[in-house]
Formats: sequence, C-alpha cells, structure tokens
Amino acid sequence: MNNSAIPAVQAADPPTRRRLPRNASLIIGLVLTGIFLLVALASFFYLPSNPNVPDIRHRLLPAGAPGHWLGTDVLGRDIVAQLMVGARTSILVGAGGATLSLLFGTITGLAAAAAGKLTDETISRGADIMLSIPGMVTALVLAATLGSGALTTILALTAFFTPSFTRVIRSAAMGVLQEDFITAARLYGRGRIFVLARHVLPNIAGVMIVQFTLYFAAGILTEAGLSYLGVGVHRPSISWGMMLNEAQQQVGVSSPLAIWPGFAIVLLVLGLNLLGDGLRDVLDPKLSRRRG
Amino acid sequence: MSGANALEVHNLVVRHDMLTAVRGLSFALPVGGRMGLVGESGSGKTLTALALMGLLPMGWQADGSVLHDGVDLIRQSDRALAHRRGRTISMVFQDPLSSLDPVRRVGYQVSSVIRRHMKTSRREAERQTIELFRQMSLPRPEQLVRAYPHEISGGQRQRIMIAMALACYPQLIIADEPTTALDVTVQKQVLRLLNGAVEQRGCALLMITHDLPIIAAMCDTVAVMYAGRIVEMGPVGQVFRSPRHHYTRGLLESQPTMDNIALDGSSRLTSIPGMVPPLHSLPTGCAFHPRCAAATEKCVAEVPTLEGGTRRAACWHPVESMAEAAAS
Amino acid sequence: MTIYVLRKLAFFVGAVFVASVAIFLLIRGAGGNVAAVVLGKSATPEAINALAHVYGLDRPLPVQYADWISNMLRGDFGRSFRTNESVADLVTARLSISIPLSLSGLILGLLIAIPVGTYAARNVGTPSGAVLALVSQVGVAVPVFWAGILLSLLFGVRLGWLPTGGWTPWSQSVTEALRSLVLPVLSLGLIMAATLIRYVRSAVLDVMNQDYLRTALAVGMTRTQALLHVGLRNAALPLVTIIGLQIAELIGGTVIIETVFSLPGLSRMILANVAAREVIVVQSTVMIIIVFVITVNLLVDLLYGVLDPRVRATR
Repeated sequence: MNNSAIPAVQAADPPTRRRLPRNASLIIGLVLTGIFLLVALASFFYLPSNPNVPDIRHRLLPAGAPGHWLGTDVLGRDIVAQLMVGARTSILVGAGGATLSLLFGTITGLAAAAAGKLTDETISRGADIMLSIPGMVTALVLAATLGSGALTTILALTAFFTPSFTRVIRSAAMGVLQEDFITAARLYGRGRIFVLARHVLPNIAGVMIVQFTLYFAAGILTEAGLSYLGVGVHRPSISWGMMLNEAQQQVGVSSPLAIWPGFAIVLLVLGLNLLGDGLRDVLDPKLSRRRG
Repeated sequence: MSGANALEVHNLVVRHDMLTAVRGLSFALPVGGRMGLVGESGSGKTLTALALMGLLPMGWQADGSVLHDGVDLIRQSDRALAHRRGRTISMVFQDPLSSLDPVRRVGYQVSSVIRRHMKTSRREAERQTIELFRQMSLPRPEQLVRAYPHEISGGQRQRIMIAMALACYPQLIIADEPTTALDVTVQKQVLRLLNGAVEQRGCALLMITHDLPIIAAMCDTVAVMYAGRIVEMGPVGQVFRSPRHHYTRGLLESQPTMDNIALDGSSRLTSIPGMVPPLHSLPTGCAFHPRCAAATEKCVAEVPTLEGGTRRAACWHPVESMAEAAAS
Repeated sequence: MTIYVLRKLAFFVGAVFVASVAIFLLIRGAGGNVAAVVLGKSATPEAINALAHVYGLDRPLPVQYADWISNMLRGDFGRSFRTNESVADLVTARLSISIPLSLSGLILGLLIAIPVGTYAARNVGTPSGAVLALVSQVGVAVPVFWAGILLSLLFGVRLGWLPTGGWTPWSQSVTEALRSLVLPVLSLGLIMAATLIRYVRSAVLDVMNQDYLRTALAVGMTRTQALLHVGLRNAALPLVTIIGLQIAELIGGTVIIETVFSLPGLSRMILANVAAREVIVVQSTVMIIIVFVITVNLLVDLLYGVLDPRVRATR
C-alpha cells in the first residue's frame, strides 16, 4: 500500500520514452556481447595461425611479437588464435546450455503452472531437490561417467539450470494465468494448450528472454570453471578456462597468459549480464523495480 | 500567536522534480482542534500529511513553513525531527497490516516507542502499553501484547497503531484514512476510540479522508483539497450545509446517504464529470474549471484566491447557497 | 510450527532419497562395467568377474543400491578399490581443509556484502551507489579461479606475503595452515560478496519501501536506526533464503579454489578418484556432499521459521 499521490507521478513519466535512451546497461551489454559474437563468428573464417599446432621455436613470445599480437604460449601456439576459438566455445556451450534449459524449463514450468496441483507439487519439489544438489559436483559426476567434452558440458549446464528456469517460468505463467483475459479465454471454450501457447507464452516471452541472457552468462562462467578443472572441453576445442589452467600449471601466474583469457571471460559475462539487466528494464518493468 | 495553534501551515509546497503536488497550502489548527482534510485520491492530501511529518518519499521536497510547538518543522534537522515524531506529533496510517513490523510483537512495538521518548524502564513501558491497550478496548491486553500483527484482526491492528501514536501524549495527531482499509462494521468503533482518546488528551487532530461523513462526525473545521490547493474551508456544518465551491458541492452530491437514495429506487446521486487532472498537466487558472458547469473565461485565466475569514472558498463564481440553487 | 518442521523434514528425506537414486544410477548405469574399468585393458575376464564378485558388483542394481544405502546409514561408506582405504577416513582427512575454507569464504562474503549492500541501497541514484553497482556487476562476472590467480599474482608473486599454493597440515603448523588458507578464503569471499551484495541491496531496498519502515520513522527513529532495528531484521528473511541457495554455489567455488591453490581438500579427492574410476569413493563422497548441502538447506528453512512469525503460525 503506497500513498495515493505516488502513482500519479509514475503516470507522468511515460516509461518507454524515459527508459530507452537512459538504458546504458542495454547499450554497453549489446556492444560487448556483439563484439564477442563477431569474434566467435570470425574464428570460423580466419585465425592468425592454428591454435593447436605447437611451434617450439616461438615459445612464450611476449605480446607484440611479429605475427603474434599477444604472444604465444608454452608450446608456441598463438594466443590471439586461442582466444578467438575460446570465444566460439564459450558462446556455443553457454548458449547451448541456456537454450536446452530454457526449453525443458519452459515445458516443466508451464506444466507445473497449468496441469493441476499434483503435477505442480511434483515438479516444484523436484526442482527444489535439484537446486539443492551442487551443480559443480553433478558436473564432475557427469564428466566421470560420460567423459568430458563440449556436449557433456552442455548437458551438465542443462541439468543444473533447468530447475531455476522451471521455477521462474512457473511463477511467471501463474501470474499470467490469474489475469482476467485468461479466464475470459477459458470461458470462451479455449483449451488448455491453446491458452498456454496463444496467451501465456507471448506474455512471458520477456521473462524468458531476460532469463536466457542471464543464464547464458552463468553458463559461460560454469564452462570456464569446468574446463579449468579439466572436466570441461579439451583440445582441439579451446576454452578460456582451459587456457588459464595451462598458463597456471605450465608457466605460473605471473605469465600474461594468465591474464588475457580472464579478461575475455569477465568482459563477455559482464556484457551478457548488462544486456540481461537492460532487457529486463525494457521488457519487464515490474521485475526491474524489485531487483533495483 | 503560534502558542494558540497546534499547527500552522504557511504556503506549503510539495514537489518532485518538475511536478508540484501541493501548491501553496495555508491553514491553522488550534490546540485541541479537529480539522478534516478532504479530497479525492491524487489531490495531494497524503503528501501534505507526509510533508508535515517530514516523511516525504525519496525525491519529494517541501517548502513553506510548518509551525508546530514553537519551531518550523520544515527547517528542522533530521535528528531533531526524529526526536519530535511520535512524541509531539504523530501519525496513524491507512493500512495497519503493512504499517506494523511483521516480525515483532505488537506490545514491543508500542512499548519501544514509550521507552524511546519517555525514557522509562522496560517494565514501566510495558505496563503503560497494557494500559493503552485497555483504553483502546482491546480484548485481553495482557495476552494481546504478545501477539504478532498477522495474528490479530484489522480493527485491532489499527487500534494498536492509534495506541502507538497516542502513547507519548502528542499535541497533534495526523490520521491518514485511518479506517479505509477496515471492514465497515469496525470502522465506527475505531473512529469512536480515536475520537475519545483525542478528546481525553486534548490533542489536536488532522483527519485526512475522502469520506465526508467521517469529517462531519469527528471534525469542527474542514478544508477541501483539489489538485494540490485548498478550494474551500470553514466550519464543518457551514461548509457541508451550504458549500460555496462547485467542487465541494459536487463532492457532497456524490455522497450516497440515506437521504438522497429515495425508497422508490430513483436516486439523486450524481457524480462530478471528468477526472482529477494528472500532476503533469494541471489546468490553468482554477484547476477545477474543466469539470465545472459554472466555469467562465476568467476561471481559465486566473487562479481564484482563498480569502476571507473562517469561511473561505477559492471560486470566481461561488455557489449562492443550496436553498437558492434549489429554488432557481 | 510443528507442521512446518515436519513438512521440511519430509522434504529432507525425499531430497536425500531422490539424490541418492540419481547419483547411483548416473554412476552405475552410465559408467559401464566398473570392474573392467578399474582393472584396465589388460585384465582377463576371470579377474574382472572375480573383482566384480568381491565387491558385489555382479548383483542386480536395486540390491546394490539397497546395500549401499544401508551401509551408509550404518556409517560404512565403502572402500577404495585400489588402496582399500575407507571412504570415511579419506573424507574426514580432507574436511579439515574444505570446511574451514568454504565456511570462512561464506562468512567473509557476508561480512562484506551486508554493510556494502545496505550502503548501496541507501545510496541508490547517487554516484557512490552507481559505482558500487558497477563494481558488484563486474565482480559477478569474475570467475572465482581467475580471482584466485590474480590474488596469488599480487600477494604471492609480486609482494611475496603469502604462499601461492600448497598446504601445511594443521598438525604441523597452525600458522602455516592459516597462511595457506588466506588467499583461497579471500578469493572465495570476494566472489561470494559480489553476488550477495546485489541480493542484500535489493532486499534492503525492498524493506526501505515498506510501510512499516515509515512507521518506524513516524514514531521517532532516525533513518539509520530504522534501517538497523527494523530494516535489517526484516531483510534477514529473504537473505536467509538466498544464503541457502548460495550453499550449492559455495561448494562449486570451493571445488575450484582448492584446485587453484593446490589444496588437498575434498574436491581434489573427488577429481583424482573420478580420473581413477574409483566408483564407490566418488559415489559416497558426492552423496556426503549432497547430504551436507540438503542439511544446510533444512537448517536454513528451520531458521527462517524461527525468524518469521508468519511461517511459525502455519499450523
């Protein structure tokens, strides 16, 4: 319950006109994410040199060496080329995990919201249980049983992001299902699936996009962590987390090799998080107010 | 001069960036007096109350002067103001459920106010709390002090809010729609208790509401607010019996009372055409002119002033009187 | 309250059961012939069968599961195939590193996040508030292992104040053990803080907009007093929930940080045993961790019940 006078002020502020230009998060997020997407795309067409072929004569070149902008690693492999392939891996694995968990989370979340109390209880408690299992440990077990690799990593991400999606989608869908126009559609004789597809999905699309972006970022962080531990992707795939591990193990932390991949991770994750926050302001004003 | 008044407001302005919600309010409330401040939502009455308490939400700013107990509240430091709140001036809010701390016992919430301002021992504060609960006709006060807000009824919660506001014998109590959130059946009881307690302590009351019968029952003067200004004020009987401002008249005529609902089902119940203007596009001149049947060019061009003695109306073409209007 | 506790206990039992079945099926079902993997390529079929028989791996899965669970309930977590050490001994030895590390990390995170987040909430819209928001936004994007690498670069290599890795057991030198924990705890705590600051900030902001905070001001508290007496007490409710959810996150961070600083903790043990295909060890250790997390969540739920009278009242 707020003062009666306050809403009048908000009405005075047309939300779209005020939000869009001031939304610095959105712009910075778009730019950062865009740069990394371009780099990842470019890596399919052009690389300064093969990032997996050792070149013993050019080991540990410093940054600025001819032909090797940021230098080379302990086996003489170009760092720029490795970073470019790393961007590709991060984005593919992060997006893959976020997409699959969005898909499963939407299915289970909608089912929980619309298919009756028993289904809801089962799915919600199931999600709670999965959330209380540490994701990193699950990933270790998965890597142990399925073998590590990009696909396993995506599966691991899916396993521990899905329950969060389920919860978010469920509560968003329940909010929409309580609206009067849904009741009207039901009274009009529309079936459950029709209502979900035609009325609920479009109304929670904003939430879905925002969550996708934020879990994309979380996926990249987790992939980097798993690859750092040696249970994520491995060569010929290249991951920034793996590069950091190699740098620390083989050269020591004072190596510039231990710096660049970290910057790449921070910038891309920051970009995606800013993008998510910015999109939230545009697509879902109610939520942004709560989160501040 | 200010010694005779519990509250003196001069030219109070409340604004937020470019928006001005309260546009030059002046009134005086004598010691022990009861004044009603009436208006629709959006008229600025709640912001007025919060400005008097120094509790405006973030971004809002008050100007003008608010004299109370020999000081200008607007020019007080945060600390000095905090020291006054709940002691010489206190407030009862609209929704008692959200206004009470959900995780602390109601007795503690009241007794901690007493301990804060009266510097009494814990035991003494608890004793006084039980006594206050008893005065508020709360059932089994010794047990009730141990209850949490969600465990008791809305009427009981609001009586506890009133007890909290009265605990330190303030000179002035501001009640903002104190019964709007309550069931109709308990509204009367809460008002009666508030009335009795205020009377017994000789404390002044500023009652903010959109409910005219409450003003009629509890106040001796009334100020009618529209779009951030007082458009009419005076003794309750006079204003309600023969309103001078067309807005006041409209308000009175849109009240459903047993009188204007005829038994044959026909009704004289009317409503004011149009809506309260939003703050960012207030009309020029008299803010009420777009909704007023008597409006002329002058009303569009010039702001009518609120002048006169105890009975004042800010209107270029005041209503002559109910009797004459009915006759013509 | 009784019903609330019973409901939470039922959830606890259910969660442990579901998790144990999942872990068991994942490891046993997807892992292939365990005995063959353990013995390696050169093993004869007879040897494989013999090993499988000794460890009961040739029995039906439900029987093996029941056996595993009932042994665990009696405190027997199984033994390593190779060294025959008991899992219980292996785990307890490692906990003297993992538990101090993760708990101190969490506590440090909270010690930073609560004041900073509260300050950020009070300064929304000001330059200092914006800077704090940016710093925590960047902090959230920093992978915990990179934080560890940077800290060991600064304090270990450049300044030489603290070890960049390795471990001296408590029994040898408490000071040395503490010194080797400083950087790991700092990395973990800083990264936890970055996430927690955002939650604290929004919890406090939420409380600041509540009517009861206005009431606290209306009865004579200053803004600071109201925030401390009424605000933090109410903001504690969402925070307790968040901390519960962050426990899983904390374990993940601990796993990684132990690797960064070469601490022989629980997670290094799991990693080594994953590589060595020590199925029983991995299975039981993972289960112990999961039970720990679920237990912490149960305690958090019960604490929530104590803190919030509205939950307590649900009969």
